[in-house]
Amino acid sequence: MLKSKNKLSFVLATVMVLALLAGCGSNDTKGNVTSSNANKKSDKVVTIDFWSALDPSSEEGRTITKLVKEFDESRDDIDVKLQVISYDIMHDKLVAAFNAGDAPDISWGLAEWFGEFNKFDTLLDLTDYFNSWEEKDKFYGNVIDSLTIDGKLKALPNYLGIRALLYHEDTLKKAGYDAPPATWDELIAMGPVIKEKTGQEAYGIAGAGVRSPQELIMYLAQKDLVLAEQMSDGKYKNTWQDNPDQLTKAAEVFQFYQDLLSTGTIKSDAKTWGWEEEDQNFALDQYAMVVDGSWIETYGAEHPDEMADVKIAAPPYSDKAATFMEIAPLYMYKTKIDKTDATWEFAKFLLGAEYQSAVNLNEAPRTDVVSDSQWGKDFTALADSGVVFPSVSLGSITTAMQDALAKGMLKNDKPEDVAKWLSQAINDSLKKTDELSAD
Amino acid sequence: MKTMSLRERKIRRIAYWYVLPALLFFILLNAYPLLNVLWDSFHFKNLLNKSLNGFAGIDNYKEVFANEYFWSSLRNTLIWTILSVTGEYILGLISAVALNQNVRGRTFFRALVIVPWVVPIVVAGLTWDWMLSPDYGIINYWLTSMGIIDKPYYWLGEMNTALLTITFVNIWRSFPFFTITLLAGLQSVSRDVLEAAAIDGAGVRTRFFKIVLPQLKTVSLTIIFVHIIWTAINFDFIWIMSEGGPLHSSETLPIMIYRYAMQEYNFGNASALASLMLGFMLSAFIIYYFYTSRKNRA
Repeated sequence: MLKSKNKLSFVLATVMVLALLAGCGSNDTKGNVTSSNANKKSDKVVTIDFWSALDPSSEEGRTITKLVKEFDESRDDIDVKLQVISYDIMHDKLVAAFNAGDAPDISWGLAEWFGEFNKFDTLLDLTDYFNSWEEKDKFYGNVIDSLTIDGKLKALPNYLGIRALLYHEDTLKKAGYDAPPATWDELIAMGPVIKEKTGQEAYGIAGAGVRSPQELIMYLAQKDLVLAEQMSDGKYKNTWQDNPDQLTKAAEVFQFYQDLLSTGTIKSDAKTWGWEEEDQNFALDQYAMVVDGSWIETYGAEHPDEMADVKIAAPPYSDKAATFMEIAPLYMYKTKIDKTDATWEFAKFLLGAEYQSAVNLNEAPRTDVVSDSQWGKDFTALADSGVVFPSVSLGSITTAMQDALAKGMLKNDKPEDVAKWLSQAINDSLKKTDELSAD
Repeated sequence: MKTMSLRERKIRRIAYWYVLPALLFFILLNAYPLLNVLWDSFHFKNLLNKSLNGFAGIDNYKEVFANEYFWSSLRNTLIWTILSVTGEYILGLISAVALNQNVRGRTFFRALVIVPWVVPIVVAGLTWDWMLSPDYGIINYWLTSMGIIDKPYYWLGEMNTALLTITFVNIWRSFPFFTITLLAGLQSVSRDVLEAAAIDGAGVRTRFFKIVLPQLKTVSLTIIFVHIIWTAINFDFIWIMSEGGPLHSSETLPIMIYRYAMQEYNFGNASALASLMLGFMLSAFIIYYFYTSRKNRA
């Protein structure tokens, strides 16, 4: 009796240990013949893992899901496994997947991750695939250039987030203005007048969060400044401290932020607003103007009255016209089993005119897909003046940019000191990631 | 020396087999990662700079100490932990004593008090975030309506209030755990002893401080210790509500570890800070252990 109990115990313990080890194992089904859609698919099917940050509750999300399903059903040789992961957690999940050797084949992503992912050496070189595609000339040249590192195309443009000045026309008229400001000085001058005549603040900014560096890089570009310049050795450096003129200009950018605050052009709380507060308050007609993307149009469905008077113009500038152009990339990754050909077929579908017209009509990276509405053509008209982040690891740099804004607006540090601090922080970050030029 | 019988030896052997999965769990999920963190803390390990690798000595620790925000994060961790646990204990004790009284609707209130604790942290954090909003939040509306403040205040957006506000929300969420545990402790306090003390002339305050509270000592110390650990290493509440901002004013050491690991990919620095934090916690508990041991001996 005891002997059989012993055996039973041994079996139980073994099962538990095996279950534990099985739980720790990877769930790698890549490259295997999949049994899903078995009645439709051929014997050898390549399964593509596709991570998307689509919003399943939105019309756009439903359209994407439908189109991907149609592609999946139209191809006997490809099975697309769509996984919806929000942008909030996508980055960390991707990094974990890279390190576990279990990256998806293709995913949505943000432009801010481009330099990091390239440094991880996880991105596929798509140059030959793209160059041999008959539709390659349909894409904006500066967009493709910004996704190219050392002559190699390392990502594809999923959609564009070009920023423009959005303004409530009625509010400006109420304050006695027929047109939005063209320059920083005009904006600062209009701020107190709009506040006095309408009771609303004139302008909105994101002082914190992921959008604040995107706005800061635009204002820096309007002063003809870049965060990190590529030097002769191929590496990067922030040169503001080496060049007094650049440092003065950078200080003027932080002075502009302080002026927005001190003149009441922006609400005091805007110094720590994230993108949610910025978008929501503009859509609710709580302030007059903001530099934002065409996605604001979607708020029109919830707040039709408040959004009815919204018009679009170029962002106010200082020395030269510039805007931030967010290029949301499609990343294709190196995986254990090479499925690049099949993944490229799927990527072509996502970049194709049919998909882009249905999903990204206002934000398409293709020159032949442009909406006639103001949310399309008025934004794409600014594409040529679009600036992007440099192709370096941005993790600490964007954090430093947010800190610099907080130092300027929360601690009220001198603009010159903030500019110097940011310049040093950028170079410290580049040094840590071995991207700092010795020049 | 007593020798084990054959049956006892067999039973012991079976016991070893049953312990094996737990042991494997411990080795795989606790011991190995912990040792790995300690090992990494003495090595260069930056995913964005693979050219720099090998033994780092104490360089990672030096970099952590030199970080502009290390000391403020350490101070924030202490403030966050001490205020949270103190607030939770005081509120938990008051509510436990109240719910231990024989009042109408006692069962209903006992069920009600648990609600904050069963709300998921993400939901609680986002809801409070919205309630504290200066533009649409109900808190600012109430405070301005009652004339307590002149105009809406951005509780999570100002450097001097962000950490304290999150601490308040954390107290709100965690005190029910103290309530329930202390309530269980209170119910084990002998009514006979309390009645005898009352007959001997002990007032309410004397009975509470001289009889009730000493009998809650063991359960109090247990939940306080557990909560010191849980609160000090808490990441999600602060991250959800402020991400450590504005300008690192609500950043604690776990948030800093996350930034090193997942924003800078500097696992050497992250491991050094994690090891330091482990060292701080261990030191505090060892000091407390020796202090109480000496006190007990005396």
